[in-house]
Amino acid sequence: MPREGPDRAKKRKDKESRRINIKEKMTEILELPKEVVLNVPRLTMLGNKNLVIENYKGIIEYETVRIRINTGTGIIKITGELLTIKEITSEDIMVEGRIKGLEFLE
Amino acid sequence: MLLLRLWNYMRGYVIIVVEGYFLEKFINICIHRQVFLWGIKRQKNCTMTLNVSIRGFKMLRPIAKKTGCRMEIVEKRGLPFILNRYKRRKTFIAGAFAFVILFYIFTSFIWAIEVTGNEKIDTEVLIDKLAQYGVKQGGLKYSIDTGDVVSSLMIDVKELAWVGVSIKGTKVKVSVVERVAPPELIPAAEPCNIIAYRDAVIKSVYAKIGQQEVRAGDTVKRRQVLISGSITSENKEVGAKLVHASGEVFATTWYEGSAEVRDVIEEKVSTGEKMSNYTLVLFSKEIKLFPKAVPYNEYEKEETKKRFSVGEDMVFPIGITVDTYNENKLVKKNIGLEEAQKAAEDEAYNKAAEDIPEEAEIIKRDVEVIEKEDGDMEVNVIIECIEDIGIEQKMGGS
Repeated sequence: MPREGPDRAKKRKDKESRRINIKEKMTEILELPKEVVLNVPRLTMLGNKNLVIENYKGIIEYETVRIRINTGTGIIKITGELLTIKEITSEDIMVEGRIKGLEFLE
Repeated sequence: MLLLRLWNYMRGYVIIVVEGYFLEKFINICIHRQVFLWGIKRQKNCTMTLNVSIRGFKMLRPIAKKTGCRMEIVEKRGLPFILNRYKRRKTFIAGAFAFVILFYIFTSFIWAIEVTGNEKIDTEVLIDKLAQYGVKQGGLKYSIDTGDVVSSLMIDVKELAWVGVSIKGTKVKVSVVERVAPPELIPAAEPCNIIAYRDAVIKSVYAKIGQQEVRAGDTVKRRQVLISGSITSENKEVGAKLVHASGEVFATTWYEGSAEVRDVIEEKVSTGEKMSNYTLVLFSKEIKLFPKAVPYNEYEKEETKKRFSVGEDMVFPIGITVDTYNENKLVKKNIGLEEAQKAAEDEAYNKAAEDIPEEAEIIKRDVEVIEKEDGDMEVNVIIECIEDIGIEQKMGGS
């Protein structure tokens, strides 16, 4: 098996990013819901009390002060006080409580 | 949200506590297996409470085993649990059902018939007639066609001008309007006489058609012809002409009434003593409850009927009749002669006035006090009137 040179690896990465760009452009042209096609979570916040995350993958950590949720683009970390999961289905998760911070971890 | 809550309540749900180290994993597996969770609250000491439907809870056990969590039900909520609680009380449910069914059965019969609006026709007669069409106590109310009943009643009882039948609850309300009977008139084409309907002294005669037979000042007897319908001509060869006589004959008439003067009267005075007999009425049967003989010589009976009913129209065939007997004492009372005389006068006047027709004009009343041989006194009242005494009578008729 021939070893891949640094050039080839770079080329492949370029190719991959280009494909994503094309995908993004296509969805924009066709006005398709981006979160479905691109596997990106949709976050809806109501003040600092209510947060709905659609298109998520799973819960990594759940404490009253900190929730970490795995999504297609990485991990979302919610910090706050008295956090509860109001509703949870396979499509969305509704977090309630006093939300203080929202962090995207790559 | 309210709708969702209501839905959850209807389906029933449980609040459970989950204890373990891999709570996140537990939730993730639940989601993966399509178990809907809500109201998840994290507690300290590796526990959390959450709500899950009954169906979902059944799927939780293997998940808990897999993730090494312990579950415990804190509370059961919702309709299925409440129903389940009552499921054991079989007698209660049976009683409730029996009540509903009995209520339905009892209210599908007629238990009371009310007839209103009749004055001349006896209520009994109408009720008898109604019974013939099936409208009677204990009859099934669904078998009654009110339209049919109305038309049959109208046909059978000629005196009715209008009939309305309505079924309200267990009561049948029959309201009727009586026909005002037209006066029996002799057709104008038929010849007739005018005769006196009572003894009188003629005051004035005015014959419109026919031949005048009496003159003012004449004394006439009852049934005497006043204006004749057969007019005899002077020409003997022509027979009498028959006409429908008409006219007014005013005459003086007298009406008499008498009453005894009693200065000692017996008056009933209640002693305050009373007793009651109760009778239970079931359907049309009467059952006397602890009947007692009435120990009084003089008493007044008072009857009150009570029927068990819901509202005014839902009458049930159960009732109670209370007969109350009030003891009376006869007390002799001496009222003054003057007062006694006045009372007798009133009595006599009322007796005399009974027969006076409405059209008559009262012109004089005479009061006469007669002392009889045995010492009793009597009051005589004579009322003098002026009225039209003529009535029509068919010729040759009786």
